[in-house]
Amino acid sequence: MGPDFFAPLDKRPGKIYFPAMANVAEPLVLPDQEKQTGTKEEKEPGFLVICWNDPVNLMKYVTHVFQKVFGWDLQKAEHHMMQVHEQGRSVLVRASLEKAEFYVHQLQKYALHATMERDA
Amino acid sequence: MKRIGADEQALHFQLNERERDALVQILQSYPVLPPAHHVVSKQWPEAQVADYQRLLDEALAEQRAANQQYLQAWLAAPGRFQQKKAWFSLTLDRGDVEWLLQVLNDIRVGNWLLLGSPDFSDTPSEIIEPSLLPTWAGMELSAYFQMNILDALEN
Repeated sequence: MGPDFFAPLDKRPGKIYFPAMANVAEPLVLPDQEKQTGTKEEKEPGFLVICWNDPVNLMKYVTHVFQKVFGWDLQKAEHHMMQVHEQGRSVLVRASLEKAEFYVHQLQKYALHATMERDA
Repeated sequence: MKRIGADEQALHFQLNERERDALVQILQSYPVLPPAHHVVSKQWPEAQVADYQRLLDEALAEQRAANQQYLQAWLAAPGRFQQKKAWFSLTLDRGDVEWLLQVLNDIRVGNWLLLGSPDFSDTPSEIIEPSLLPTWAGMELSAYFQMNILDALEN
């Protein structure tokens, strides 16, 4: 766990929390997994962005959202959608805390059931 | 509802009168999803994620208010549904597609929760009381419009 994990949110330089964004109209092309070698991220805890199954969500819709939020191709988006559908959840990305927050917020804007969890 | 054209700026649909009325009616029910539905984490102790949860709640509430305001303006825009003989045309700007999909899924998931999160292997008559049929209709109609928009994006 990073040293500033429990610090007040407004005391953490450089972090952006749930920015009020316009609706996502273009793919948010961000890395699906941050590189873990030789970076600051290596020393910080990882956070998993997980999508949980809500059977009400259309499979095609979930695939579309994954493509939009993560910039994935259709094959990868469908793979994770099927994991959600068949296994009840899918770990979508491992990211830093601030990026995990960002992704969770984006997914929840689409009314998907997403959470972030600490990587054990 | 069917797509009748598309260009770089917009998707163009044709709706019959019932479809137009249904779309307007379900959109006017937005938001349906309870704000407390979203949690930031399932595993962290609640006290440790309280700040994150608060920020998420605030951000989603802000988003919901903005969506609601935009939705009212969108529905009220002159010529939103233009009558063409026996049907209506709807032009959906590509910049509005994600926003509309988000709104429709809020309505779908929210109505599903109101129905008690039913299992879809059951038939509606087994799980839904007659008084909840409008809720079931809202859930299914939102999916109908979602699918049409998603199909239109593919073609």
